[in-house]
Amino acid sequence: MSGIGHWTYTLSVSGRDLTFNLDTIFTMWFAMAVVIIFAIIATRKLSMFPNKLQALCENILKFFWGTLDTMMPCKNRQHVPLVASLFLFILIANLMGQLPLRIIHLKSGELASPTNDINLTGALAVIVLIYYVVAGLKAKGAKFFLHEISFTGIVMALVELLEMVTRPLSLAIRLFANVFAGEILVTIALGLAAYFLPLPIMLFEILVSFIQATVFMMLTIAYVSSASSEAH
Amino acid sequence: MIEATEQISQMAHLGAGIAIGFGAIGAGLGIGFATKGLMDAVSRQPEVAGKAFGFFLLGAALSEACALYAFVIAFQLLGK
Repeated sequence: MSGIGHWTYTLSVSGRDLTFNLDTIFTMWFAMAVVIIFAIIATRKLSMFPNKLQALCENILKFFWGTLDTMMPCKNRQHVPLVASLFLFILIANLMGQLPLRIIHLKSGELASPTNDINLTGALAVIVLIYYVVAGLKAKGAKFFLHEISFTGIVMALVELLEMVTRPLSLAIRLFANVFAGEILVTIALGLAAYFLPLPIMLFEILVSFIQATVFMMLTIAYVSSASSEAH
Repeated sequence: MIEATEQISQMAHLGAGIAIGFGAIGAGLGIGFATKGLMDAVSRQPEVAGKAFGFFLLGAALSEACALYAFVIAFQLLGK
């Protein structure tokens, strides 16, 4: 929440400068570690008679199955790994920025959300783009790009080519802007009336974290579904 | 030369204000329509309130994103 400055590291490769935002990388690995360690602990002792942790995880999985069942007509279970990991990673990453504690000291700033960097959300959006293009190619072959050779078909193909740019762009900017605007809002509220005004806004930001993770997941499902279903 | 950069900076700040203002109009209208739809649905069929509220939150988040696009543009302008 420390404003705009990133803790950067510049590496020059063959005459060009590559700049890495080290705080984003660090917090991203922290969020990934939380998800991975939770998954390892939860799946270590599986049994027919689940303990509390296993029951919790089964309910989380049932949530994804239910969402996929309502939004995708058939063959939906194969998309659970992408959808579930996107949702859990984005949720943990968003919630991490709302902690009012300095758990880990970084060189600049504190443990903010890695999703307040547009590079990370852009990478997630490009993953979704590649995934749904591959799913569409698998389901329909070359017909995914060109439906029919006619005027309408060519115009539709061009429009879909445009959608391949605008969909990842809107996905990336939506997530980035929500998290970033939330952190700026908390900072401004801190300047207006410290300790009292930020509290309700931070509670609202927790709600926003859940909603944005859900929105990202729902849009991913909608894109994959529209790419791989027959009636297009 | 210094005057020109200062003028550009002033105009950029003005533009940031205009951008976030016009962006907020659209998002406000969108959330207002979404709330109207939720109220209509709930008053007609009170038993769907829980399900409709989930869809309402989703639609509100999608239309709120329009204001946030304007916010990003405004923030870029403020840095000029």
